[in-house]
Amino acid sequence: MNGRQAIILRDVRLAFRAGGGSFQAVAFFSVVCVLFALAAGPDLRLMSKIAAPVVWTAALLATLISLDQIYRADREDGSLDVIVATSDELALTAAAKAAAHWLSTGVPLIVATPLLGLLMNLEAGAYAPLMLSLVIGTPALSLIGAFAAALTVSLPRANLLISLIVSPLYMPILIFGAGAASAGAAGDPQYAANLKLLSAATLFAAITAPLASAAALRSNLD
Amino acid sequence: MKPSLYDLANPLRFDRIARAALPWLVAATIVLMTLGLYFALFNSPADYQQGQSVRIMYVHVPAAWMALFCYTVIAGASAVGFIWKHPLADVAAKEAAPIGASFTLLALITGSLWGKPMWGAWWAWDARLTSVLILFFLYIGYMSVWRAFPDKTRAARLAAILAIVGFVNIPIIKFSVEWWNSLHQPASVFRGGGPTIDGSMLTPLFLMGGAYMFFFAATLTQSMRSELAARRLARLQEIDARSSYVLVEQ
Amino acid sequence: MTKKTRRMFLAIGVFAFAAAAAGLTLSALKSSITYFYMPSDIAAMAQKPHSPIRLGGLVETGSISYPNAQSGADKNSLVEFNVTDGAETIRVVYAGLLPDLFREGQGVIVQGRFTDDGARLTADNVLAKHDENYMPKEVADALKEKGLWIEQEKAK
Repeated sequence: MNGRQAIILRDVRLAFRAGGGSFQAVAFFSVVCVLFALAAGPDLRLMSKIAAPVVWTAALLATLISLDQIYRADREDGSLDVIVATSDELALTAAAKAAAHWLSTGVPLIVATPLLGLLMNLEAGAYAPLMLSLVIGTPALSLIGAFAAALTVSLPRANLLISLIVSPLYMPILIFGAGAASAGAAGDPQYAANLKLLSAATLFAAITAPLASAAALRSNLD
Repeated sequence: MKPSLYDLANPLRFDRIARAALPWLVAATIVLMTLGLYFALFNSPADYQQGQSVRIMYVHVPAAWMALFCYTVIAGASAVGFIWKHPLADVAAKEAAPIGASFTLLALITGSLWGKPMWGAWWAWDARLTSVLILFFLYIGYMSVWRAFPDKTRAARLAAILAIVGFVNIPIIKFSVEWWNSLHQPASVFRGGGPTIDGSMLTPLFLMGGAYMFFFAATLTQSMRSELAARRLARLQEIDARSSYVLVEQ
Repeated sequence: MTKKTRRMFLAIGVFAFAAAAAGLTLSALKSSITYFYMPSDIAAMAQKPHSPIRLGGLVETGSISYPNAQSGADKNSLVEFNVTDGAETIRVVYAGLLPDLFREGQGVIVQGRFTDDGARLTADNVLAKHDENYMPKEVADALKEKGLWIEQEKAK
């Protein structure tokens, strides 16, 4: 197995351990959804109207708080310097880190979504569009988030800065993703358009984020 | 010898040129602003539909132009600094950011003030307004990166990467009103087929645009001078501290 | 795999992703994520959407009516008007304050949902949309006098 596969495997294993990032992400995701449900009050119709956008926002926030950890372990044990110095194609390695993040955070969130949909009284027809939009959109969140993590890797505590950097970049993803989820439920013809723009955004992030992450890692470590 | 951007690369030389240019820039700003406001408030007609509230346009539209222009300057300077390592490019980008953010905020606020009588709403989440709000957050993120890293060379490179990545928002803002049915009206000035705005209204618009541009130039020049002076001071203090350390060692 | 081969594959991959992204974007923009629908867009749908939507168009001349005027209640409490784009028309009902720029022939965007029978749109919100033409009143009057005034055909 080559170095990149090893990195992905290690990151995913670490995240799924007890106390690791995956559990925290799903827990935070659930908490946010429950808080919104409580705030919406007993009106079930209101809750099902806002369910898809709330799930999307909760997924985004859960991803946001997990971003600081992407490079933390590597930095602390010194392996980040080794990776940056010896990697033949740093952009690919950055993409691998983003993939690992998605596998350990995005995928558990997607798996937890149907349960939270039940909690928020999501309409039956909305499950498929919501899941599809999350499947397409969460990789973009991981890619862009990994870029923000790479940008701030030399700072001891970067949570606030990561949020400031990442929010304008996340906004289009949220708009298209939540838009697709809501439109899909209502049978609105904008469903396809939103999904296409979401896919385009993810593809664009897949190209630019790893390259930008590689440049950021190099700038941070010399 | 052909003049090139590198002639300005020497900070002391830049400071000399900047100090000479500054009074002219300030004077041009004052003249254009006075003329522009006079034309905007008194010497231009009310719109056939909106009446007097169209005059907010003369503050709002040039501010929006500057919001986009400043970010383009930042992205361009970042690219120049990143690729060719021109020593002043990063300083220019850093100092342009607060000015650009202020213009963006001005555009958003005056737009909102104008939207209430015109459309009936203080805000709407259409493509143009949303993407300009995203631009404002990009400015904030960019300035935060500069602040977060004590090593300014590193900060410069990281901020440059962020600026270049965020540049994708600029064409989206410009073309959002063409691509999507939106609440914000389509372009009236910079469009194929020529402006759809009457000449008597174009004059104050361009006057105010010119005033804002010279304001940007003057403020940027002065900020760059301050920043370069602060860096010189920091370096001198560092050398001074080191030399006293050597004395103590003896 | 040599470094050069891998570089080539990467370049191809980047290009393929970029092309796919561009293609998807163009396709989506053609169908247009719209801030609002026009009456023709609604007419082209198999059935009227039951979710809240935004409808944009011109206020049809002569279509404004105040149903509460006769019953003695405040005339402005309820207004009905047609929104048209030249080809299709939708009747809108609104119980609220209209913006200053609202009048016949003016562009509007209404937000609301269709009644169950699909006959009318109950608006929660009416926004007047301004076009990109700015001119002084004297010029507009002069054009009207000369008969050269062209009313906008589409509210865009």
